[in-house]
Amino acid sequence: MSSRARVEQQAIPSGGAGLLVAVGLGVAFLLFMAFLNVVRGGNLFTEANLLYVALIFYAGASALYIGFGVTGIERYVRFASLATGIGFLANTLAVGHRWYMAGRPPFANIYEMLLSFVWAVALLTLVAERKYGVKVIGTVTMPLAVTGVILMQLLPSGVRPLVPALQSTWLQIHVTLAMLAYAACALSFALAMMFLIQDQMKTETFLAATSGLVTAIYAGAMIRFERWGGLSVAAWDAQNKEEIFLQKGVRLFVTIPDLGWLFLLVLLAAAAPLVIYFWAKWRKREGFLLAANRAVFVSIALQVIALAAFVLRTHNAAYPSLDADGLFPTSLAASPFILSGLITGIFASLLYLMLFWRRADLQRLLPSADNLDRLTYKTIGIGFPLLTLMIAAGAYWANRTWGSYWSWDPKETWAAITWLVYAGYLHMRITRGWRGRRAAYFAILGFAVVMFTFFGVTYLLPGLHAYA
Amino acid sequence: MGGKQNLWTRLYRVLASVRTGIILLIAVGVVAAAGTVILQRPLTDPADLQRAYSPQTLLWLDRLGLTDVYHTWWFALLMGVLGVTILCASIDRFPKAWRLLSRPYRRPEPHFRAVLPIQKQIPVPSASAGLMAAERVFRRAGLHPRRVVENDEVSLFAERNRFAVLSVYVVHLSLLLILTGGIVDAFLGYKGFLMLTKGQQTSQLELSNGVMQRLPFTLRCDGAGQENYPDGTPKKWWSDLTVLENGRQVLKKQIVVNDPLVTHGVRFYQSSYGYTGDVDTLTLAAAKPGAASQDVRLRPHRPVQLDADASVTLVDFRPDAVMSDGQVVSRSRSLENPAIQLRVASQSSGKSATFWFFPAMQRVAAAADSPYTFQFRDIQMAAFTGLQVSHEPGQWAVWAGCLLMGLGLASAFYCVHQRYWAVVVEDAKRGPVLWIGTAADKNREHFQERFAEMAEQIGRDIAAEGASRSATARSLASV
Repeated sequence: MSSRARVEQQAIPSGGAGLLVAVGLGVAFLLFMAFLNVVRGGNLFTEANLLYVALIFYAGASALYIGFGVTGIERYVRFASLATGIGFLANTLAVGHRWYMAGRPPFANIYEMLLSFVWAVALLTLVAERKYGVKVIGTVTMPLAVTGVILMQLLPSGVRPLVPALQSTWLQIHVTLAMLAYAACALSFALAMMFLIQDQMKTETFLAATSGLVTAIYAGAMIRFERWGGLSVAAWDAQNKEEIFLQKGVRLFVTIPDLGWLFLLVLLAAAAPLVIYFWAKWRKREGFLLAANRAVFVSIALQVIALAAFVLRTHNAAYPSLDADGLFPTSLAASPFILSGLITGIFASLLYLMLFWRRADLQRLLPSADNLDRLTYKTIGIGFPLLTLMIAAGAYWANRTWGSYWSWDPKETWAAITWLVYAGYLHMRITRGWRGRRAAYFAILGFAVVMFTFFGVTYLLPGLHAYA
Repeated sequence: MGGKQNLWTRLYRVLASVRTGIILLIAVGVVAAAGTVILQRPLTDPADLQRAYSPQTLLWLDRLGLTDVYHTWWFALLMGVLGVTILCASIDRFPKAWRLLSRPYRRPEPHFRAVLPIQKQIPVPSASAGLMAAERVFRRAGLHPRRVVENDEVSLFAERNRFAVLSVYVVHLSLLLILTGGIVDAFLGYKGFLMLTKGQQTSQLELSNGVMQRLPFTLRCDGAGQENYPDGTPKKWWSDLTVLENGRQVLKKQIVVNDPLVTHGVRFYQSSYGYTGDVDTLTLAAAKPGAASQDVRLRPHRPVQLDADASVTLVDFRPDAVMSDGQVVSRSRSLENPAIQLRVASQSSGKSATFWFFPAMQRVAAAADSPYTFQFRDIQMAAFTGLQVSHEPGQWAVWAGCLLMGLGLASAFYCVHQRYWAVVVEDAKRGPVLWIGTAADKNREHFQERFAEMAEQIGRDIAAEGASRSATARSLASV
């Protein structure tokens, strides 16, 4: 294993420098272009400019981290770290600027939440590298940060004053705690996944899981499949930068023709590796992995096409609706969940490929399985108290605003369920001695519930929490 | 007799086991999740429910209580049993923790020394040298070692964060506190909604379950208002409220969203603000030929004297109406095309004329048999303030529970109960040997490393002591 690594390093020394030079030039070029724009525009330190600088450096860091993940050259990590650090600085300035302009911390709408989330992700990457020595975490977190910043460009960014119910210090406390708790849970998820890699979980199991995830994402998007192969998305009013409502609480949906058929095709392609996996397990055929991986390539290609098609067709176009006569406009900003889902699918598939190609190198670079297991527990030991405090602060705020500290609102209930799942993890670990695989599965389940609480409830189950 | 005891003991064992707790935890989670996916009656319009489910489905959902899961008896029972398991599990394990707390194990006996996982043995020149070295290193590490003397044997014992053994019990107790608070509120608490217009007062309110609740005081609204941001979205709703007891004013407060009025354990929250659709004050300009026009402020059904003879009364008002077949028909509740019905009466002739006036369509209205004409000047619509009312006697248990849980969790995760022992034993081959051992209830790897460092320090200390002693001996000998 190590000889293979040495051979690789000997074989690609120029390649190593090549990527560095390419990324360096790219970053410099983009900065120069931005600078030209700024010189023409006038204002240097605006939030948009700072975010753009952050984006450039995060993108550079992503490229270098992915390069590191694919080739194993350690030199990339140093520069990637540096790029992350500079991006983080710009990001912090952007957050500070927004805080100053709005007069409150940036937590009031989804644009601000994404801003804080991206900042937290960059911070966690730096902390994980320095404190815990997990250098490869950037391959996961930095592309996530880049996606976040790009998504932000699609959302209304004006500083909106707060409706009466949101004008409270307890809101700031509650949302800060929520962000920190979710970040800790996300980290525990990443650590649990890395543990499974180090624990010699078979690559084909990762194949099945990734394929299952992408299938689930496309199945979720297909809820909006219309009879004649169209896909329904929410209508969007570009002027006011908000959704169009037929009446209170009822959104207007437009149908994009043929996009449904494309998504269906991708769904089948994404399910193919999973089907091959089960068929091979049933027939006990080894060596099917190659066929399944070819299917993964096909699925990635189709996913990219689906993403491109989705972006092109929703970007400021007008379509007919089944609910009203005429053509109505829509925009990417109207479908943040479908967009996030598509990007997550591609991202997860690419991560699987990286694992498939470079498993040996990854296992060399990651900490030992034991360490990762303990780190997962420690991270949940940070996340669980934060979750508890978040729920308590939310209850106190609700009591002051609506006269009831617990009204079984879907978001409240799912936050409590998340709490119960992590309480279950702690009990199984401390009292029943669950370690290793079972603990890792539990941690992954916990994060899935966190994701549902954060996204699923807002998207699928509306209620009092309809602010974000 | 033996059989019955057996049953109770068995039941207790089942209730106190962690597995039961986990199963109940999962059950609560599944039921709670079902309640977010199935439409719940308290939060949904009955019409929406009928649209979403077929009559058969809805019948069965109602029968099983799935349309109001959180308030069914079996959900309450589930939570109750969960509480009981927490209690039993705590009672079962508490004596052990209490023993650790009240009677710390100070002297490391031989059988203990044999089995303690983290220990080290260091040869020392003498018992006192060994113990002193250990004492020094312990002190340097921030511990407070105590000498334990028993039967001519001296040993050291140092301990930190003994209270931490209770942390898990504090966490579970706080959970029980929160559940208790919730139960108290479910039975003794109430919630309702109150709409008051300016000047209106009430001493009872309609609860969310339809029951009328009498209050031990009277609440009066002296005014309410709404402030908007420049773009029109609401910025602030406020109400001026006064609490009266036996006609005497006891409390006066202006409340806004997030800042309620609290009196007699009942809380009044600013929830909303709106217009009733009725008029509060209508201002008209009344003119008579040969006299200056005067502004009259009319309130519904209150006659206003125009001069010695004539008076005008506001009889009826519609915020939005149209004339249809000679009748005035209301269209909506928003102020669009208002219709005003006025009655002008003459004292001298005893006659009065009633007529409708549409200010949006007519500039001037004239009354029959009267010299007066009227023009619209201004209108103030009657507003109501919406107050959420709640009485939650159990909330103090809930907040106390939350605080306690925060402390308990912090202690459970971050305060490590550490114990250190040191004693010198006589080994037949090696002579006096210092035995040191440690126990930590979490983060073992970290403490194992620290312990190894301490052992090394002790070893170095002893060697340094020995070296200086032999140097002193040599220098003395050379003298």
